[in-house]
Amino acid sequence: MLLVIDVGNTNMVFGIYKNKQLINTWRMATGDGKTSDEIGITINSFLSGSGIGLHSVEGCIIGSVVPTIMYSLTHAIRKYLGIEPLVANCNMDLGITIVRANPATCGVDRFVDIIAAKELYGTPAIVIDYGTANTFDVVDEENRFITGFITAGMKTCSEHLYTRSAQLPKVELVRPESMLTVDTVSSLQAGIVAGRIGETIEIINVLKKELNIPHAKVVATGGLAKMIDSKGEIFDVCNPFLNLEGLRILYERNA
Amino acid sequence: MILVINVGNMEMIVAVFEGEEVVASWRMTTSAMKTSDEIGSTIMRFLDFDDIDPANIEDVVISSVVPNVMYSLTNAVKKYFGMQPIIIDSSVISGIDLSRMKNPLELGNNRLVNISAAYHIYGGPVMVVDYSTCTTYDLIDENGLFVTGITAPGINVCTESLFLKAAQLPRIEIKKPDSIYCQDIVSCIQGGIYYGHRGEARYIIDSIKNELGFDKIKVVATGGLARVIDSEGEIFDVIDPFLSFKGLRLLYEKNKSLGEVRL
Repeated sequence: MLLVIDVGNTNMVFGIYKNKQLINTWRMATGDGKTSDEIGITINSFLSGSGIGLHSVEGCIIGSVVPTIMYSLTHAIRKYLGIEPLVANCNMDLGITIVRANPATCGVDRFVDIIAAKELYGTPAIVIDYGTANTFDVVDEENRFITGFITAGMKTCSEHLYTRSAQLPKVELVRPESMLTVDTVSSLQAGIVAGRIGETIEIINVLKKELNIPHAKVVATGGLAKMIDSKGEIFDVCNPFLNLEGLRILYERNA
Repeated sequence: MILVINVGNMEMIVAVFEGEEVVASWRMTTSAMKTSDEIGSTIMRFLDFDDIDPANIEDVVISSVVPNVMYSLTNAVKKYFGMQPIIIDSSVISGIDLSRMKNPLELGNNRLVNISAAYHIYGGPVMVVDYSTCTTYDLIDENGLFVTGITAPGINVCTESLFLKAAQLPRIEIKKPDSIYCQDIVSCIQGGIYYGHRGEARYIIDSIKNELGFDKIKVVATGGLARVIDSEGEIFDVIDPFLSFKGLRLLYEKNKSLGEVRL
């Protein structure tokens, strides 16, 4: 079996594959300063909780945008699973081209999402990942990652608004039924959610028009994708495990 | 002459009116740590720099969304100008009907000032979009009724949150990227913030119009980044950088003539 780990700024997502089949996933807070033993013992209990023996994990690949956790995480895999993890990077055989002066500056999460979208849904595609940051990335029909935008994630910017303003409360992120608000909470909910919906629609439109790719597949992933497109009108595909799929594909190409 | 002070979460903007004209304006950082002497002497230096005699200031008018600077600020006005400042909040007579709101006191004083100004200057229905710590979208109908207000995280709040919460992302200057091909981290964020906030404005304005069945709403934008976001003048009907000053003066005049405000 293959263990894939997607390390984001907020959470690490673990997925276990049997052949090409994702059989379970777990989430762990990325945290600050977790030790390799804390991480290792938690992975251990995730696996044993699902009846997966540690020795049946034959391979591991990690895609990370958090450099500071890598020392502990790779040690945890070596010590608790007894295998050497593959760490995703832009010098591997990606199956796509990153068009940049310095491809190493491209976040691993972004090209991993693109690899999955290309393999599973075809190109050209606009790949949107809603996370700590939202990314809107374009892979053209020649499988080149040609441009992309980054915006603040819904939770990221709303929590920061709370710290930077004297009179605004923390609110639950839900889309209010009406844009006619009557109090501060509904006003904030409308602004945060409707604002990010408008952001998504505008960016898709601009990319399709300016790059002349009107039929590009729009592939979305990430926790809040469903809230952005609750009626299924904006995205062609919504795959919550896009990043794990990308890591699996990358492992198969490079192991 | 009157001195108006608009206290925002990040900056206090101080301006002097002679009649209906703004003759000078300055900005200072909002900080709860500042003493009344620091605030008072800074305002005195501002006036001196523009050759304005403090003795000519007849009244000081304040609106604030930051409660914990008010003690130092009102004391500064008392000590350095020898007068009690006039505080503009939702208890003043604004000409705006807040009866739709559950609690009218929740409406930030800055928003009350802006919508009063927009309604009186441009007439209703009018929407005020204010780019500040929050981006706010407030709609007043033709009778002066506050119909709805939307609050979204401001542009600077969004970019700053990315820098603080995402390990590999830098601080950036907010501007339209030079090309649609964004292939480095700075232009990726610039593209996202620029197009994202344009999309936010368009979508929120259109959603409100659709829900109310309003065809024509005059959209008045204010705040430093309004011009950056609507760089081609397609989204807003008017960009009025002095809306809040105009509103403060207007509410001051209105309430003074009614003899209502001296506290």
